[in-house]
Amino acid sequence: MPLPLYYFLSITAVNILLSWALYLPYRVAHLHFITVANMAISGYSAAWLVMSLHVPFGWALLAGFALGALVGWIVALFIGDAPTFAVVIVGFTFIFIVRTVIENLPAVGATMGIFGLPNIGGNPETHRWVIMAILAGMLLLTGFFLHRFDHSRLGRAASAVFVDKDLAASLGVNIKGLGMLVQTVSCTIAGGTGVLYGFIYKSFHLDFFTFALVGIAMTIIFVGGYATPWGTVVLAPILYGVPLLFPPAIQEWRIVIYGGVLVIVLVLKPEGFITRRFVATMESFLSGSRKKRNILTKEEL
Amino acid sequence: MARDSLLLSVQGLSVSYGHINAVKNASLEVARGEIVVLIGANGAGKTTLLETVLGINTPVSGTVTFDGSPVTGVPADRNVRAGICLVPEGRGVFASMSVLDNLLLGAHHNMRNVARHLDRVYEWFPILRTRRDQVARTLSGGERQMLAIGRALMSAPKLIMIDEPSIGLAPIVVNDIFAILTRLNKEGYTILLSEQNANKALRCAHRGYVLETGRVAMSGTAEQLLNDPGVKAAYLGA
Amino acid sequence: MQELIAQVINGLSLGSIYVLLVTGFNLLLLVAMIIHFSYPQVVVFSMYITWLVLRVTGNNLPLGVIAGVASSVLINLLSAPLFQKVMAKREQVDINSTMVLSMGIGMIITDVLSHSFNGGLAIAFPDNLAGDTAIVRVGLISIVSGQIWSLAVGIVSVALFFLLLYRTRPGRAFRAIAEDPNGARLVGIPILRTGLYSYALTGVLGGIIAVLLSMLLGAAYPGLGEQVAHKVLAVSIIAGLGNLAGGLVVGLFLGILEAIVQGYVSGSWSNAIAFVIMLVVILVKPKGLFGTKL
Repeated sequence: MPLPLYYFLSITAVNILLSWALYLPYRVAHLHFITVANMAISGYSAAWLVMSLHVPFGWALLAGFALGALVGWIVALFIGDAPTFAVVIVGFTFIFIVRTVIENLPAVGATMGIFGLPNIGGNPETHRWVIMAILAGMLLLTGFFLHRFDHSRLGRAASAVFVDKDLAASLGVNIKGLGMLVQTVSCTIAGGTGVLYGFIYKSFHLDFFTFALVGIAMTIIFVGGYATPWGTVVLAPILYGVPLLFPPAIQEWRIVIYGGVLVIVLVLKPEGFITRRFVATMESFLSGSRKKRNILTKEEL
Repeated sequence: MARDSLLLSVQGLSVSYGHINAVKNASLEVARGEIVVLIGANGAGKTTLLETVLGINTPVSGTVTFDGSPVTGVPADRNVRAGICLVPEGRGVFASMSVLDNLLLGAHHNMRNVARHLDRVYEWFPILRTRRDQVARTLSGGERQMLAIGRALMSAPKLIMIDEPSIGLAPIVVNDIFAILTRLNKEGYTILLSEQNANKALRCAHRGYVLETGRVAMSGTAEQLLNDPGVKAAYLGA
Repeated sequence: MQELIAQVINGLSLGSIYVLLVTGFNLLLLVAMIIHFSYPQVVVFSMYITWLVLRVTGNNLPLGVIAGVASSVLINLLSAPLFQKVMAKREQVDINSTMVLSMGIGMIITDVLSHSFNGGLAIAFPDNLAGDTAIVRVGLISIVSGQIWSLAVGIVSVALFFLLLYRTRPGRAFRAIAEDPNGARLVGIPILRTGLYSYALTGVLGGIIAVLLSMLLGAAYPGLGEQVAHKVLAVSIIAGLGNLAGGLVVGLFLGILEAIVQGYVSGSWSNAIAFVIMLVVILVKPKGLFGTKL
């Protein structure tokens, strides 16, 4: 597999996963930016486990997921039902603190970062295929989960909370419980994603986990469409790929361009490009054609 | 009524909120120096009508003419400057601000004779002078109504509109409020007020209109309405 | 003891800057009905403009200050129609849309600063602004004129601003809208126009803050806006969104806390400690210490 394609596919997958990790809590109006901190915590921890304790990658990855879940769950105990604003600030504060800690910890390379992680499976080729396979698996699992969530009782409850938290509470929705659930799942996904992010490059650096990453994820979600998970899938490759076609001078201004696109979409098309109505139309179209096939088969019989 | 003594003229006013037609083809007139009452049950459209006259809502059709000029669709702040004011239901005072600040807000668009207007208001309502530095939240219901009326007076209005002045007030206090309105009217203020419980209101008014589900069902002098059996049965309970 | 006094003075300067930022933020929240996440980033951008003008005009101080204030007012006024467009309802703060919009604006500002001014490197303000010459020496601690200036101007600005809010006609209008926009309309206050005034006023305030920050810090870098923004936002949550008096208390407190911590702990850790303390407070009381207006 050509290297540029590998990087494009794997980074796009990471972008989708991070955006999905943010999509889920946003269903209850929480912008759960702590996920970026989760990526850093789990990623660096996994790297340290592999480098210093020679733990096999598989276990390190699982540890990354577990760590994400743990941090997410503990924090959710406090902010599961907090106002949107508080959740945002907690997230940003966490990112800052985690970055400062990493910056000052020689054990994880401080400002230099961790380099030269071992290849999974012994050689670079296998390593890349393993990473892609795991990412693909995560994409399928997460996408399936989000799809089922959205079409479940919990998904409807989440929509109610998004529109009017107090009304939802008076209808019997367990705000704290729901908030804790989405936050914990979101952080778990983010943790694993963080581990994979670094292992794509076989290195970890503070520059991977910056506030700019928050901006990128936000642009993907809000431009793609925050009402369904599919806007993210469509937009992530576009947003990451299109700048790559331009000369490096333009690529430097990537974040500014993202910000500009975000602002324009917010003002002109607030629900994003892939709206809930679009998805519903697609879904009924797809299930409609399937129904037609079934009827024919019955008639044939 | 002579044309030039008409202060307010509403013709064929229709106002909707989305699919709800709150006011349907309503017409009413208020001459200078009158007290006119709008009677109607909850949801009859009284508040909507008053708010549309002020300029909070834009009507679907119909006209509002104030002091000879058309003001349909003119925004509220312009109308307040032109001399219309509304004392909203539930008093509408700013609870976290002082009595004085509330009164000063009444003169917001014209601060030129503030001191004089303030003195007049204190003459009318001495209790407000006593409590002028107190936060409005600490006032009693009757005092808040006085504050709301005092605030309206600060703008030296030509027309005072009051939405349900007696709501939530004890009967004795209600008597006081209507006595104040009568005194204000004798001093020359034109008053248009709305009321659910119309007995006391009609007794101090010149004329009245009955609003039912957005339409003007009846109109006449206060006496006519007080003696009308239908009105008696529906609105003159207490 | 002398150290402590010096640190407290420093803390008060920093604190008054935080208070001004929180108050500007609260004003936009209460009167313009928006959450302006990147208000401090606009301030830092103005700092850069001031720096640029100073460079170009050979340290012409008045021009630099004017340029800073003007750029802050301009950006605020330009962003006003964007905010108005994304707000769902005029009389209520639409947290989600205004927050995300302002985050987008912040993204743009921070990254523009990272690429265009001074090649993304930190900028330093000339001595006559920052005042590197110590005018008071207290033992091992020296207080430079920049700190004294920023403290004085900071305190005066806070006092003037609150005076404006509580003793003047426009201030009454702001407070009326802050409490009850519908009631304000009934009294004839033009909501839209007053909202625009608040954009302009916070713009002027932002310019003043930019000058103060330049005097106090003597330098700026692209990430400064984000850092200050996170602190100011944390302060506003802890004090309670929209709580002006609370913002005053918590802002000053944070300034003093930071200054004292900086005296004992080195650079980046002192920031982290401030954040940890604020994080704990927010986790324990997500709705703020003094209750929110929202």
